[in-house]
Amino acid sequence: MMCTAKKCGIRFKPPAIILIYEGEVKGKSRQRIMPVRNFSKFSGCTLLQQRAEQLKNNPRHKSYLEQVSLRQLEKLFTFLRGYLQGQSLAEMMEQVQRERTIDPEEDLNKLDDKELAKRKSVMDELFEKNQKKKDDPDFVYDVEVEFPQDEQLQSCGWDTESADEF
Amino acid sequence: RLMERFLMDGFRPQQLSTYALTLYKHTATVDGKTILVDFWDTAGQERFQSMHASYYHKAHACIMVFDVQRKVTYKNLSTWYTELREFRPEIPCIVVANKIDADIKVTQRSFNFARKFSLPLYFVSAADGTNVVKLFNDAIRLAVSYKQNSRDFMDEVLQELENFELEQKEEDVPGQGQRGSTESPRPS
Repeated sequence: MMCTAKKCGIRFKPPAIILIYEGEVKGKSRQRIMPVRNFSKFSGCTLLQQRAEQLKNNPRHKSYLEQVSLRQLEKLFTFLRGYLQGQSLAEMMEQVQRERTIDPEEDLNKLDDKELAKRKSVMDELFEKNQKKKDDPDFVYDVEVEFPQDEQLQSCGWDTESADEF
Repeated sequence: RLMERFLMDGFRPQQLSTYALTLYKHTATVDGKTILVDFWDTAGQERFQSMHASYYHKAHACIMVFDVQRKVTYKNLSTWYTELREFRPEIPCIVVANKIDADIKVTQRSFNFARKFSLPLYFVSAADGTNVVKLFNDAIRLAVSYKQNSRDFMDEVLQELENFELEQKEEDVPGQGQRGSTESPRPS
């Protein structure tokens, strides 16, 4: 099955994950509706993850969802839960945004394993997005770029003013 | 991940759980001579606020990594640097700003920590590979030259002791990093 995923989103009522994709006929968009059944608004993080995995591995949908990341499906289920709990779309977006950004001030050494795993997944996501793999056609092993540190540079903002500290 | 990016296929870490570190062995050529390099990765040991002394023992260079997205890792550098200097007052040390792929603008900023201690600062990205190979090759070169010209009292003592042992051919280059940025149990 040739399938190029274009967009994947969620419909709240009745709940369904919807995939817009291009099938064998080039230039013709198709839509696949995958209903979400028995979804509880009390689903915790683990359950959301499981739902995402189940959907991705569902024998009927599997080949269509190959290009859709588990993380995105998880996020869509999170939206559905938020909707069922009465959250506004803006609130949900903000929450997702907050969870997917790095807090520069947070000390990861002080988090428990579960929270740490969450932060690491955020970092992994960025890494994977920017990663140049060995098999990529434009891969270069030794990439050298000079970034001169001259006096005129603006401070990173993390140095304190006092002379004793950096 | 910096280590993996440098070693590529050649990487085969050994987990030494007793010392909470990941060890990478590597062969390099410096000035026509083949040398064995041991990279010691902290493997999350930073969590305990301090490294085991054995970690510093016989290290010939140090790479200190911070994450340009996380101020905490930058601020912690001074603590780690102080500890490093207690054990190894003279070894070459390189400061690394990792993850420049996240925000390339940071390369246009000054980082006083490196300047204050006159340490070289490298802007790198383990993800896209920028300056990773250069970093490690430079570190190896520094380590070798330090080992050859070392005036450290501790090194001289160790040298004496070594005369009774088998000849030592390794270079120890610990990659001291901040957890979650470049070093982790699944060394990133």
